[in-house]
Amino acid sequence: MEPDSARKETMNSAALFLRLIPMGSGISLFCGVLGVAFVGISKKISAGLIRTLGLLSLAAAAAFVFAQPASGVISSLLCADAMMKAWCGVFYAGALPFLLAGTWTDEVSVLLLLGSLLGMTFLAFSANLLMLFISLELLSLPVYLLVALTPAQGRPSWEAAIKYFFAGSVSAAFFLLGLACHYSATGGFAFAGNGSFLDQTAFSLMALAALFKIGAVPWHFWLPDVYEASEPMLSGFLSTSVKAAGVFLLMRLVEYSQASFVSLLPAIGALTMVFAALAALNQQRLQRLLAYSSLGHAGVLVLGVGAWALLGATEKGALPIFFYLFSYIFMSNGAFFFLELTGVSQWSDLRGLGKKRPVLAFCFAALALSLAGIPPTVGFLAKFLIFWQAFKAGLYVPLIVASLATLAALAYYLRIVREMYFEEGSPNLKLEKMPTVNLIVSASAAYSAIAGFLPWILSAFQRVLG
Amino acid sequence: MILTLFWAFPVIGALFTLLSPAFNLRARWVSIICAAMELYIVLQAGAGFWGGHLASLSEPGKILTYGISYSFSMDGLSWALCLLNAFLTVIALLSSWKQDLSAGFWASFLFLEGAVMGVFLAQDFFFFYIFWEAMLIPMFFIIGLWGSENRKHAAIKFFLFTFFGSLFLLLGILALVVFHHQSTGVWSWDMDILRAPNHGLYAILAFAAFVVGFGVKIPLVPIHTWLPDAHTEAPAAGSIILAGVLLKVGVYGFLRVLLPAFPEWGMKSLPWLGGLAAINVIYGALSAMAQMDLKRLIAYSSIAHLGFCVLGIASRTAQGLAGGSLQLINHGLTTGALFLMVGFLYERTHKRGLADFGDLVSQAPILTFFFGVTVFASIGLPGLNGFVGEFMSLSGMAKVSLPIAVVGVFGVTIAAFYLLPAFQAVFLGERNSASVSPRVFDLDFREQALLWLLIIPMIVIGLHPGPLLNIVGPAIGKLIL
Repeated sequence: MEPDSARKETMNSAALFLRLIPMGSGISLFCGVLGVAFVGISKKISAGLIRTLGLLSLAAAAAFVFAQPASGVISSLLCADAMMKAWCGVFYAGALPFLLAGTWTDEVSVLLLLGSLLGMTFLAFSANLLMLFISLELLSLPVYLLVALTPAQGRPSWEAAIKYFFAGSVSAAFFLLGLACHYSATGGFAFAGNGSFLDQTAFSLMALAALFKIGAVPWHFWLPDVYEASEPMLSGFLSTSVKAAGVFLLMRLVEYSQASFVSLLPAIGALTMVFAALAALNQQRLQRLLAYSSLGHAGVLVLGVGAWALLGATEKGALPIFFYLFSYIFMSNGAFFFLELTGVSQWSDLRGLGKKRPVLAFCFAALALSLAGIPPTVGFLAKFLIFWQAFKAGLYVPLIVASLATLAALAYYLRIVREMYFEEGSPNLKLEKMPTVNLIVSASAAYSAIAGFLPWILSAFQRVLG
Repeated sequence: MILTLFWAFPVIGALFTLLSPAFNLRARWVSIICAAMELYIVLQAGAGFWGGHLASLSEPGKILTYGISYSFSMDGLSWALCLLNAFLTVIALLSSWKQDLSAGFWASFLFLEGAVMGVFLAQDFFFFYIFWEAMLIPMFFIIGLWGSENRKHAAIKFFLFTFFGSLFLLLGILALVVFHHQSTGVWSWDMDILRAPNHGLYAILAFAAFVVGFGVKIPLVPIHTWLPDAHTEAPAAGSIILAGVLLKVGVYGFLRVLLPAFPEWGMKSLPWLGGLAAINVIYGALSAMAQMDLKRLIAYSSIAHLGFCVLGIASRTAQGLAGGSLQLINHGLTTGALFLMVGFLYERTHKRGLADFGDLVSQAPILTFFFGVTVFASIGLPGLNGFVGEFMSLSGMAKVSLPIAVVGVFGVTIAAFYLLPAFQAVFLGERNSASVSPRVFDLDFREQALLWLLIIPMIVIGLHPGPLLNIVGPAIGKLIL
């Protein structure tokens, strides 16, 4: 009896271990959090050590995600489907530049960043709405704190952090209200709804929360302030990974609901683009300008999600949105990191950059043109795929509005190029030695400039999505 | 591979040119060597077109995703335009040879050359659009960085205007792709496969979108307003390429894309297109009469001349189509030469107003000779190239619609009314007492050589257009109604 039970125990623990493998990504990030906290306690903080720990746990998490078989229910709370890999990839890729290049003087910021990534991982794995809500909060709370702890140079960010926190709380409240409605309509937390009026209301409320997170008009008021008050590198993270999490949330809700709010999404997306383009025209501070630019891109994404839903919300159909998010990681991070690298804050600081620092100016010009969506940059290819999806879905009016908004937005993207190349003056740069940031800016610019010409990249994406 | 080389070689050359200062090389030498090699490649690859034993060359690619395939093809018309592009790029680079310009200037022209090659060769609509838009960026920098006083305004206007047109082009392309998918269930972006349905509101809208998209580049009145500014403010080399090559892509789009893809609407709309072209001819000519700036005058004359191209094409007769395509090449040569010479004048005096000069014949007889020949070619004097193109376009149109052809003939006449007085005022007339232009030195060897390179083809085409017509003939033969 004795060896038998021992074997049983081993088998049990082996089974437990096997069941834990799918959770490997979450566990490695959690270990990362613990490790960083431990280093923090030991009072012998070195930026290199913290960064290495963070990168290691991120790499382990990514390895686990990609080793994972693409299907299967892990538990009643967690599941893994084909899209999960792509989503985790987007979340991690968006955070990687920040983790690589951030100037980590204390362990708390890295800890918060990893915690937020942990939330995103669980978000991607969530198998029901309750889990979705918990992971949403898990990813959001550290981000509020990060905004408060990592202000832009000489600008206190408490106000922005509190604004962000309140906006986030309102969004959470909407989500909870929706969750309650859903529960009373269906008696559970499963994704699938039953199509009743109450359930449609529930999904609408939850989608509202997601739109709040993305910052779609008219729930955008917090976004420019937060992106402007944070350190540019953090804004890069906010505009990529955190926004991607919002888009994921929206897609999950749209996928399972039969609510009629889906037909509103294209209109909301197009309006967001129009608003962002018009509001950005008169901005004087570059970081705020990029925040509005990011808002415009959120509009494209919402439009894309609407089109995706109308076309049947298939896994294959999500390719344009993934490609957009993936390319946007380069464009947005590149542009924000350029601000970090050069310390420019106003239009006049850019003047004459084309002559003084041709390589830097070329990078920023490529990024700006890519954000504007001009061929042959990757921004065009990404936007084009989304617009094409919308075309297929028959969304002609939102498309025309969106195209005109793209044209209007071109005015301020071109102004960036104009100030750098056509205006006389000497640029006002505070160049510090930041080789990693420099590398990230150049790599992002190179990707933005070249990848649009390579639809081969799309085939690679299709393979990842299966 | 050879067609890929057509567009990739200049682009790689541009990168080399950009990097050349880092290796202590002279950027202008790198760029001119690349441009000359590209010209050689184009000549070599299309040698078969001369004798007529090559009708087309194609490079099918396998489908990448969503039906997009990397495929190129070249027929006689494409090749003739590629040749014009490669040739004018060499001329444009040499025209600015003496100016002290940074590596970016020389590289921009090579980038531009590569993008235009892509437009002329692309068989797949996706790549066609990418190349189409890629032309904008180098030209934007050429105007905005190296143009004259009002260059920033002109560059932004150029960009926004043509980008606006391109959005319509994109909508049209998407519509074609969706039409094809609806009828066959297959995604395809192949120009030779996609055809619009013969009826339905969406087909008309798509057709209109294409007309606007291509019309901005031609440019058709009333979407032409970017052109005078851009041509006037661009540096001389930029104007040569802008007028000589970039205006051609719009007409090329009509020939290669619009008419084949819309068999029904292409036919029904012909009177409209012919009417628009006639308006272009008259409007461009009348506006040119009112100009006091040489470059602006030539810019408006371009609008009139491109009107003749569209006029010939809109007739859909053998003569009209041949004349229209011939006029594309002719306009590239004559207007290129005119902008080149105005550039030489501007280099010497930093002036380009009609009233700033006078009696240049006594100071610069050689320049006067070249300018005179080119002006006559541009007016359409028999024996020079302009005559052949305009005559064929008009006679083609006369077969279909006599009134439009008559209006066109008036356009030819008005050309004499603006070009000859301008020639007289600058070169022959009394020297204006108010003009204080310094002594103008006559052309040196390089400048004369460049002009001979442009004028000899003008005379050859004027006397013996047969070979060129044989080259473009098969390509446009299928468009004849």
